[in-house]
Amino acid sequence: MRDRLGDLQLFLSESPEEARPSEEQSPEEAQPLELYMFQGEDEMEQIYKEAQLMQKEMLMLKLDVKRLGKQNTRFLTSVRRISSIKRDSNALGRDIKARGEAIYARLERLGKRSKELEEEHGAASAVARMARSQCVYLTRAFHEAMCEYNRAEMLQRENCKTRIQRQAEIMGREVSREQIEEMIETGKCSLFSDNLLLEGRTARSALTEIENRHKELLELEGRIRDIRELFFQMALLVEEQGCMLDNIQANVGQTRDYVAKASAQIRQAVRYKKNNPCKKLFCCCFPCCR
Amino acid sequence: MSMRILSSCCKMSDILAEGVTIVEDINKGREPISSLEAIYLISPVEKSVKALINDFKDTVFTYKAAHIFFTDTCSESLFAEIGRSRVAKVVRTLKEINVAFLPYESQVFSLDNPTSFKSFYGSNPSESKDTMIENMAEQIATLCDTLKEYPAIRYRKGLDENAKLAEEVNRRLTAHKADNPSMGEGADKARSQLIIVDRGFDPISPVLHELTFQAMAYDLLDIKQDIYTYQTTGVGNSKEREVLLDEDDDLWVQLRHQHIADVTKKVTELLRSFCESKRMCTDNANIKDLAQMLKKMPQYQKELTMYSTHLHLAEACMKTFKASLDKIIEVEQDLAMGTNADGEPIKDPMKSIVPVLLNNDIGPFEKIRIILLFIFHKKKGIGEENLNKLIEHANIKNHSTIISNLQNLGCNIIAGGRNSGKTLPARKERTESTYQLSRWTPTIKDVMEDAIEDKLDKKQWPFIAEPAPINTTQTTVNSARFGHWHKNKSPSEYRSGPRLIIFVIGGVSHSEMRSAYEVTRSTDGKWEVLIGSSHILTPNGFLNDLKSLDQDSVPTS
Repeated sequence: MRDRLGDLQLFLSESPEEARPSEEQSPEEAQPLELYMFQGEDEMEQIYKEAQLMQKEMLMLKLDVKRLGKQNTRFLTSVRRISSIKRDSNALGRDIKARGEAIYARLERLGKRSKELEEEHGAASAVARMARSQCVYLTRAFHEAMCEYNRAEMLQRENCKTRIQRQAEIMGREVSREQIEEMIETGKCSLFSDNLLLEGRTARSALTEIENRHKELLELEGRIRDIRELFFQMALLVEEQGCMLDNIQANVGQTRDYVAKASAQIRQAVRYKKNNPCKKLFCCCFPCCR
Repeated sequence: MSMRILSSCCKMSDILAEGVTIVEDINKGREPISSLEAIYLISPVEKSVKALINDFKDTVFTYKAAHIFFTDTCSESLFAEIGRSRVAKVVRTLKEINVAFLPYESQVFSLDNPTSFKSFYGSNPSESKDTMIENMAEQIATLCDTLKEYPAIRYRKGLDENAKLAEEVNRRLTAHKADNPSMGEGADKARSQLIIVDRGFDPISPVLHELTFQAMAYDLLDIKQDIYTYQTTGVGNSKEREVLLDEDDDLWVQLRHQHIADVTKKVTELLRSFCESKRMCTDNANIKDLAQMLKKMPQYQKELTMYSTHLHLAEACMKTFKASLDKIIEVEQDLAMGTNADGEPIKDPMKSIVPVLLNNDIGPFEKIRIILLFIFHKKKGIGEENLNKLIEHANIKNHSTIISNLQNLGCNIIAGGRNSGKTLPARKERTESTYQLSRWTPTIKDVMEDAIEDKLDKKQWPFIAEPAPINTTQTTVNSARFGHWHKNKSPSEYRSGPRLIIFVIGGVSHSEMRSAYEVTRSTDGKWEVLIGSSHILTPNGFLNDLKSLDQDSVPTS
C-alpha cells in the first residue's frame, strides 16, 4: 500500500490559480443547487434509523440465545432446583420467540417500504437500491440469528440424550440412542415401567433424574415446534431473495445511468431567459430615456 | 475490473456491515448524493480517472468527499491531472493498494484479461502487445506484493514472449520491493519461485474432457460467471434458482476436484447421514425428498439447499455424459496417453477416431477436440492432405481455422510446417491408480513437482536472476503458528513456507488448477502452489478464441 496523499498536496500548492476562476462563477449558479440535491434524503434517514433499531433488536436476540445456551449447561451440571432452571429456560424461550416475531414483522414492513420506494423512484434509483440492500442484509442477519438459536437447542438436545444414556447405564440398563428417540417420539417413559421392582435409593434417584431429563427434552421439542412457524417464514423469505443479491457484481450490474429529470433543465432555461442581459439592459435604458 | 476484485473478496453484507450504503459503477451516470462521502476503488486508467474528475467538475459535487484507492501504480500524467482538477480539494485519502488481480480461488488467481490471448498469439502483430505485457507484468508484481513474496523468476525457453514477460515482471518486482522492503522476508521465502509458461506447452489439457466435478460442470453445462441456474421445488413453488459456485460453499470446496462418480456417491451419503442425525426418516435421500424435508425442517434450509444444488449439478453432468460422451472420452484418453487402458500402446489411432468423426450426432467442437488430440498424438504432426481429409470426414470446414491457428501457440500441427521440430514435453510415468477414463494428468503437474524438488532443468527453464543461495532447510515452525489467530480466509499472508507461483500465458484449465491443489497437498503443506493466468479456460471457450486468432484484432475501447 502506498499513500500518495502527500504527493497530491504538493500539486495543490503548486497550482492555486486554477481554483480562483471557478469560485467567481459560483454565486451565479447558486440557485440550481436544490435541483441537484439528493431526492430521497429524508427517506433514507428513516430507513437507516429503522435498520439501526433492527440491528439492536437482533443483538438482543443473539444475547438471549447465548443466555439460553448458558442456562442449558447449568441445567445439566447442577442437580438442584431443576424446576426454577427449567422455568428460566422456558421464559427465555418465550422471550426469544416474541422478539423473533417482532423483528420479523419489522422486516416485512421494511420489505414493503422498499417495494414502494422502488415503484416511486424506479428500480434502479439510488434510494430503492439502498433500501433493498439493507433489507437483504437484515434478513440474512436475522436468518443467521435464528440458525444460532436452532444450534443451541440442538446442542441441548444431544446433551440431554447423553445424560439419559449415562444415567440408564448407572442403573445397569443399556439404553441405545434409538430407544431414547422412540421415547421422545411417543412421549412416554415406557422404558421404565418395567423397573417398578427396582430397589435401592440410588436406583430410584437415578430414575427420577432420567424422568426429569426426559421431561426437559419434551419441553425443548415443544419450544422448537412453537418457533417452527417463524423458521418457515424466514426460510421462504431467504429463498425468495436468493443468494445472488449478496453478490456485489450482481448488484452493480443492475445499476442504470442516472438521467437527471428534464424538468430541472427546463426550469433553468426559463430562469436564464428571464435574466437575459438584453432584457435587463432594455429595462435600465427605459428609465434613462424617460 | 476493480468491481470484480471487490466482488470476489467480499459480499454485500460484509460491506454493508461496515457502513457502506450503496455500490455504483463509475462508468455509469450516477445520482448525486452530496451528503455522503464516496470511496473510489478504481484502476488508474484514463477512463476511470476522467469519470472521477467529472464527478467534481460542476459547482455542486456529486459526493461530499472522495477517498481514492487505486488498484496499482498510477502514472504520473494521470496523477497530475487529478492534482490539477477540483477533486484535489476534497480528496481525503489517496492510496495505491496494489491488488490488481482477481483471487479466483484460494490457490488460483486470474488477471481478468481474456483479450490478452488474442494480443499474444494473434497472427497479426499488434502494437498493443507490448503494453499488454507491461500491464500483465504489473499485475503479477502486485500479486507478489500482496503475498509478500519476492520469488526467483523462471520462464520456459521456447517462446520469446516468455522471456520478455519474465524480464518485465522482474523490473516491476524490483520497483515494488523498493517501496515495500518486507517482500520476500522469511525463513524459506528465498526458495519461492515464479514460473512463466505459455499455453503451447500443454495444449492437451484445455482440450481434453475431464471427469472431475468442477472441470466437468464448466465444460458440459452453461455456467457463466460461476453462477449455476437450475429449476427447483423448494420451500415455495418450483422456480429457477441461481447459485454461486465459489469458496463460500464448503461442500463445493470439498467436491470440486473429485471424480464425478465419487461425487454423486458422496453427496447422497452426506445427505443420508445428515437426515439420520436430524431424525428425518427417509429410505433413500434423493432430490424429490428434499422438498419434503425442507417443509418439515425449515431451520436447516441452508444445508438442504446446498445438498440440493450439488445433487442437481451432479445429475446434470451425468445426463450430458451419458448422452454421448462415454465413447468419445475413451478414445480421447487413449490418444492423450498414447496407451490404452491396459497400458499397451495403441496401434491404429485412425481406426478409433474415424467412427467418431463420421458420427453426425456429435457436435463439431467434440470432433475438433478428437482431431487435435490425434495430431498431438502423432508427435511430428500430420500431413496437410491428411488433415484436410479428416476435416472433410468430420464435416467441420468452417471451424478448420481452429486447428491451423494452434500453430500460433507453437504447436506442431502440419508435418514439416511452421513448428516442425518442436515436440510436446515428455511426461512422467504415473503409477497411481485412477479411473480408466481419467488417466491423463496435466503436464504442468510434472513441472510443479520438479520445481519443488529443485529438479527443474535450468537450461529449459532459465532463471532471470540467479536465486539466492539455498540455506539450510530447517523450517522454523514458530512463525507458522503466528498467523493462526487470523482466522479469516487469507492466512496465506502470514505463511512462512515457500511458494511456487505458476503463470500460464493464454489461460489456465480446470485440470491444471486441480493439479496445484494436489501438489500442495502432497508436500504436506510445506510448499504452497498457486496457479493463474489471464483468464480461466473452458474447452469451448478455448476453441472459440483459437478460431479468431488469425483475424484482425478488434480495436479495444
